[in-house]
Formats: sequence, structure tokens, C-alpha cells
Amino acid sequence: MKPMNIRKLFLLAVLVGFNVGLAMMVLSASQQRRAAANTTTAARQDVPKTAVVPFELLPSNHMVVRAKLNGKGPYRLVFDLGAPITLLSNSAAESSGAIDAKAPKSILFSMRGEGKVKALEVGDLSAKDLPVVVFDHPALKALGSFFSGPLDGIIGFTFFARYKTTIDYKAKEMTFTPVDFEIRDLMKDLPKQLSGPRTARERILAPTGLWGLRLGEPLEDGSGVRVAAVLAGSPAAEGGLEAGDALLGIDGRWTTSAADALDASRTLEAGKPVEVEIRRGNETLRLSVTPRDGV
Amino acid sequence: MSSRRKSALLPALALVVTSLAPADPVAPDVGTAYRIPYRVTDTNHFLVRVRINGKGPFNFLVDTGAPALYIGTEAAKKIGLETPEGEFWAPIDTFEFEGGAKLASIRGRIEDPFQLVGMNALGLPGATIDGILGYTILARYKIELDPTRDRMVWTRLDLEPKEPWVPRGAVAKKAPTEMQALTAMGGLAKFAAMFVGKQPEEERIAQGFLGLELEARGGSLYVVKVLEGSPAHAAKVETGDRIVKLAGKKVFTSRDAHESIAKTKRGDSVSVNLSRGGMSIDLNIIAGEGF
Repeated sequence: MKPMNIRKLFLLAVLVGFNVGLAMMVLSASQQRRAAANTTTAARQDVPKTAVVPFELLPSNHMVVRAKLNGKGPYRLVFDLGAPITLLSNSAAESSGAIDAKAPKSILFSMRGEGKVKALEVGDLSAKDLPVVVFDHPALKALGSFFSGPLDGIIGFTFFARYKTTIDYKAKEMTFTPVDFEIRDLMKDLPKQLSGPRTARERILAPTGLWGLRLGEPLEDGSGVRVAAVLAGSPAAEGGLEAGDALLGIDGRWTTSAADALDASRTLEAGKPVEVEIRRGNETLRLSVTPRDGV
Repeated sequence: MSSRRKSALLPALALVVTSLAPADPVAPDVGTAYRIPYRVTDTNHFLVRVRINGKGPFNFLVDTGAPALYIGTEAAKKIGLETPEGEFWAPIDTFEFEGGAKLASIRGRIEDPFQLVGMNALGLPGATIDGILGYTILARYKIELDPTRDRMVWTRLDLEPKEPWVPRGAVAKKAPTEMQALTAMGGLAKFAAMFVGKQPEEERIAQGFLGLELEARGGSLYVVKVLEGSPAHAAKVETGDRIVKLAGKKVFTSRDAHESIAKTKRGDSVSVNLSRGGMSIDLNIIAGEGF
């Protein structure tokens, strides 16, 4: 590796970071209508069984999987849980027919816009109608030439959101089981959010059960939140909670604020006992509280 | 529960160890499964919460495209985490995940990867992201992620991944170019800063509290208990009352009741129409704080 090249490459990679964002904004306008259709039809068409897919670990610690695109290939794709989109190189998109070879290229990274892979096959699994963004990511190219041989794209959130995914770095395999999950459309929502008013969105936290608990201020050390009051005869009182306790966790979730505690209680079922961790004086205690049905 | 599972597993592990005679497992909790709460940001990133050296919590991105553990400079400063003079990695005593998984004596890089700077600058994710969990952390666990569930399951593997190679003499202030390139590649398809202004973080607001214990019987909804000292108690709702309408909507099940006050905040007046001994009674409950 020549230092000059790497330095150049680093700059390019940073630039592309900018431009993935830019590109997505530009593309989003043209694809808003089509994207809506993608979200509703996606998950249900997959065969509902688990597929085991071996992966290769690059020296750069990236997971690479061989996959067929529209029956062509195999192509070598980076599976990246941190990538919000799925992207294909121009050559992979063209040879697999994900995009029309005559589609115009922009000067910038041969940007081609949005395409769609009718079928992405890995192992026994076939993901239908996967939306992809097509352009030549220089960092991907560099990664391929330095560490592994050519790489054809990055598989991101739009794929993972369709499956229960298991990643086992020891066995070097991933498993995918289809789930029915509505994929929120990033391309559609983000530009709207960027151009929208700068007001904080509100989320009202609705507990699923009645505790009889009022919480106070977060503790200064960030470990929990103070219990301000416990109503007499309430589920919280029956579970042994007392005013003045420090509430540290509910069902394994950290409760560093009243909002945290409410967030934790949202997923619980009324009538089912749940473990609550508190600190009283110098003692850390685990109590059991059974929230009841109510408002 | 995890400790019970662990104790059940230990004899089995011991058997395997004695019969195949490999090295001891890398950590005492190998085989233990943790239920790790997560959230998906507005930018479709998976976030989990961690405490570093007992301090936090901080939001970290789950990113198989990152080669190591990155701690943002701001978070590092907040907890006094520093890279020793002449070193590249910062030593961390304890690294604890919400949900119970815990690592000890690990190393991370204090740095602001460009994609985090960009996203945080814009406020796009809806929450501040304090760092990135890359390969050196994630590879220690078998990770199960089901987008329809609110928790991931992380099972400790008998694997101790190494940090990416860093050339000798690398100093903290200036990362070697190879490493910089690797870092940049780690964030392959992510956003970076475009200075169009910051979106405020999402605000979490507690639903208003009434203090009514409810039960649906024969197609009607009854008050089985009014919690003492609650807003409903102050409004003089009584045990045995049948709730006909809540916040202007007819209610027949507790689900109906939850739905009709779904947007109620503390301080809001909630109208309630009750049937008590054949009489129709209208009351107003001022929703309070609590749950």
C-alpha cells in the first residue's frame, strides 16, 4: 500500500460520505412515489423459512457474502448493519439488470440513481424487489482491491429489516428468517424532515399497566431516578417499592429518567410479574412488581 | 435468569473442555444470552445504550461495517476517558450494555468518525449518537436481531477479537493514514454533515395518569379500584362505577380506555361519564403525573 494512495483514498471516502447523503437527497424526489409501493409488498413474498448463509471476513473485518442478483452472479456484497441503504456498483447493477444499461450516468461517481433487484439470492433465501441505489463507491472499490478482490455492493438496512438476522462471527455465518415488518422509507422521510420545521417531535409514552408510581428527578450519577411517591394499595406498593428509593431498572432496562421508566413499562403486560431493581440506602434490591390493568 | 442458565451450562461446558481439551473460554459468561434493548433511529440505524466505566448511559451505533470500538470525543471528555500518551487505543475498565452484557478490560479509539459528526450535527437520528460498536465488540457475541421485537439477543461467544493492526509509533493525536482510511471505509454508506441546521431531538412525554384500576365484564368496563391519592380519587370516582365514556369516547374494554386517553398529557382535563347505581354521573379528572 502506498501512503499517497491511501491518503487520497481517505479523502475520497470522506467525500463520498458527503455525497451518499447528497445523492440520496437528490434521488429522493424522483423516487418518493415508487418507494411507497416497495414498503408494502416487500416482506410477504419471501419464503418463510430460515436460510443459513456463510460469510467471508475480510482483513478489514467486513462481512462479505456471495449472492445472486436476478439469477446472475454470484456477486460479492458487504453486509453492513450500520448502512441505512443498499447500494450496487454500476457494473453489478448493469450485468444483473437491476438498472437499464442505457440509463444516464452523472459525472459524480457515475451516479445512476435508484434501481430495483427483482431477486437477491443468498443460500436458500430469495429477497424480492429490493430497492438499491446505484453508484461506484470509491471506498468500496478500494476496499476490494486492497483486501479481497472486487466487491459489488453493500447490503444495508433495507435488507436486514425484512429478516430476523443472526450473525455468528465464530461460525462465520448469518441466518435469516423472514418477518413481517413495515420498512420505514428513509429516502422519503429524511428530506421531508430536513426541509420541515425545526420543532421537536413529541412521543407520548403510554404505559400498558397501572403501577401507582410517581417518579422524580434523575439521580446525578446517571444510575437511576428517584421514586417520588408510591400510592397506597397500588401494584408498586405491593411489590415493596417505597418513596425515596432509587429506581435503577425495570425488566433489565435502565431507568435513568421518568421517561426511561415509562419506555420500559410500555412493553410489559398487565398481570405479569416483572423484575425491578432499586437502591435503598446502600443496598441494591431486586423486587417483583405485577402491574395491573388500568390507566 | 441468566445466572441460572449459566449454572446449568457450566457442567456441560466443563465436559466439553475436559473431553476436547481446548483452552479455557475467553470469558466466564460464554454461552450466556442477554436481551439487549435497542431503538431504530430516524436514519435507520440500530442504537443500544452502554455505560463506560460505570458512567453514562450513552447511545452507541451497532455497525458491522466499523472495524473497532469508537467513542466520540465529547462522550470521552464527559467521563474523563483519555488515550495514554503515545498510544492509539484508550483502555476501558468496564463496558456495560443495557440488558446485562458486560465486558472488562477492553480498548477503544477516541475519535469522531465523520458520519457521526454529520448525523449529530443535523440531529437527523432523533437522538445523539455517542459512539460506534464495530467488529472488536460485536464479534464477541452471536447477535440475533428481529426488527419486530424490541430487543436483540446477544449470546457471548468463545471469541476474543483483536483490534485492527496499528503501525508502531502511532500517536493519539494523529492516526496513521491506513487507519484513517479504514475508519472512513468503515462508514461505507453513511451520511455526513451538510450544514442545513439541526433537528431537535425527539421529546418523550409521559401520558397523563388517572389512577383507575379497570376490568371488563360482560361487555362493560368497571372500576375495580381507585388508587388512593390519585387524580381519579380526587375527582371522586368510586370502586364499582361503570365507565360509559372516557374523554368523550364510549369505552367497553380496557384497550378502549387506553386508546381514548392515548394523547392525554399531565394537566389535561379528562371527562368521564359513569353509571353508578343506575345514575349517570359526569366528572372531570385532571390527569396527573405517574403511571
